[in-house]
Amino acid sequence: MRNLIDFLIKHHAWIFFILYVVLSCILLFSSNPYQRSVFFGSSNRVVAKVYEVADGVSGYFGLRKANEELLMQNGELAMENMQLRRQLQRYSYAAATDSIAMSDAMLQQYDFVLARVINNSVSHLENYITLDKGSADGITPEMAVVDHRGIVGIVNVVNEHNSVAISVLNAKLHVSCKVKGTDCFGSLTWDGRSAAYAVLEEMPRHVDFVPGDTIVTSGFSAVFPDGIMVGTIHDYAKQKDDNFYAMQVKLSTDFTQLGVVRIIRNHTQDQQQLLEKEARQ
Amino acid sequence: MNITLLREMGLALLFVLLQAIVFNQINLFGIAVPMVFIYIIFRMPLSMPTAWLLTASFFLGLAVDIFSNTPGMNALACTILAFMRRFVLSLYLPHGSDYVAETPSIRGFGLWLYVRYSLTLTFIYCVLLLAIESLSLLDFPYMLMRIVGSTLLTFLFILCIDSLSQGREKRL
Repeated sequence: MRNLIDFLIKHHAWIFFILYVVLSCILLFSSNPYQRSVFFGSSNRVVAKVYEVADGVSGYFGLRKANEELLMQNGELAMENMQLRRQLQRYSYAAATDSIAMSDAMLQQYDFVLARVINNSVSHLENYITLDKGSADGITPEMAVVDHRGIVGIVNVVNEHNSVAISVLNAKLHVSCKVKGTDCFGSLTWDGRSAAYAVLEEMPRHVDFVPGDTIVTSGFSAVFPDGIMVGTIHDYAKQKDDNFYAMQVKLSTDFTQLGVVRIIRNHTQDQQQLLEKEARQ
Repeated sequence: MNITLLREMGLALLFVLLQAIVFNQINLFGIAVPMVFIYIIFRMPLSMPTAWLLTASFFLGLAVDIFSNTPGMNALACTILAFMRRFVLSLYLPHGSDYVAETPSIRGFGLWLYVRYSLTLTFIYCVLLLAIESLSLLDFPYMLMRIVGSTLLTFLFILCIDSLSQGREKRL
C-alpha cells in the first residue's frame, strides 16, 4: 500500500497527463454526438449568448451588399409573380368551367422561419453554423437551412432559443442534388479545400451537361424541397470506377458572408420518413 | 486570492473569447488559421507544478473546443503541448544551467531563445491539432500546407503580442 502511494506521488505528472489525454479522447471519439454537441458545443447557452453579443457588433458589416442582393431578388420575384398572375388569370377561365378544386394544404407543404447566423466557420473540415432560433420557434432537427442565394445546411441540434446546423462545408454532410432539367441525381459533399466549391459525386455518365449548368437539390431526401439552387458546374472528371462523374460545383451561397437564413419546415417530412422506413423493413 | 493568479485567469478568458470571435474567423489563403490562445500556455511560469500546468492547459483547450464545436480536439493538443514544454526548453538551454527567467517572454529569455522556444511549440501544436483533425478526412499535401501556414501565422501573432506586453510590464 505504501509502495503504491509512493509510486503515485512520484509519477503524479504522468498520471495527470494520461488522465487528461484519456478524457480528451473520450470527448473526441464519443459515440453520442447529440450529448456531445449540447454540452460541449455552441448550442450551449453561455456560448450562444457570447456569439449573439459578438454578432450584435459584426452583424452590421456587409449589410449594404446584402440589401442590394435582396433588392435584385425582389425585382426578379416581382417579375415572376406578374407572369404567374397572368397565367393564373388564363387558367382561371378554364377552371371556372371545371369544378375540381385543389386544397390549400396540398400547396402549403412548406413554410419557413427567418433566423440570424450568430456563429459560422469555414476553416475546419467539419463546419457548423449556430442560429438564433430554437425549439420555441418551432425548429426541430433535420430541417433545411437556405439563404437567398442557395442551400446552407441542415439543422442538427436544437435547444430552446438556439440551434446548430451542419454546414454544407462539412465532410459529414451529403445532399442529394441533380442537374437542373434532368432527373439523374448525385450526392453533394465537401472535400475540405475551398469554401466556394463542393463536389457532386456518383453522377451517372450518360447525363448530358456542360460546365456552367445549374445544380439544384433533387427533393429526394425529405429535407430539402425540390429545385433549391446549389451552384453551377465548374469542372468535372471521371471517378475511379469509370461509370460515374465527379463534378466540382461552384456554390452559389457565399459561406463567408452568411447573415439571415431561412429554416424550411416540411409538413410532410415525418410521413415521408415513416413511409421510407417501413419500405426498408 | 492571489492577484497574479486572478490576472492570469482573466487574461486566459480574454484569449479564449478573442480566439472564438476574432481569430477563428481568420482563414488566410484557405490554409492558415492563427491559434493565438496557446500563448497562455507559453507564458505560464516555469516553476508551476506539472500537474497544475496540465490541468490549466486541458481546460483552456476545452474552453476553445466548446466555442468552436470541436470537442476534445484542442483539449488533447493543449495537454500534450503543455507536457512537452519543459522538454522543448531543455533542448535549447545548455545542459544543467538553470532557467533564465521565471516567465517565458522575450524580455526574460532574450529574442533568439524566445523565437526558438515559441516557434518549436507552435509547430508542435499545429502538427498535433491538424493531425487530429485529419482523422475525419485525410488529405496529406493539404494538411502539410495548413501546418506550415498556421504555424507561421500563429508564430507572428504571438511574437507581436509578446513584444506589446513587454513595454507594459516594464512600467509595472
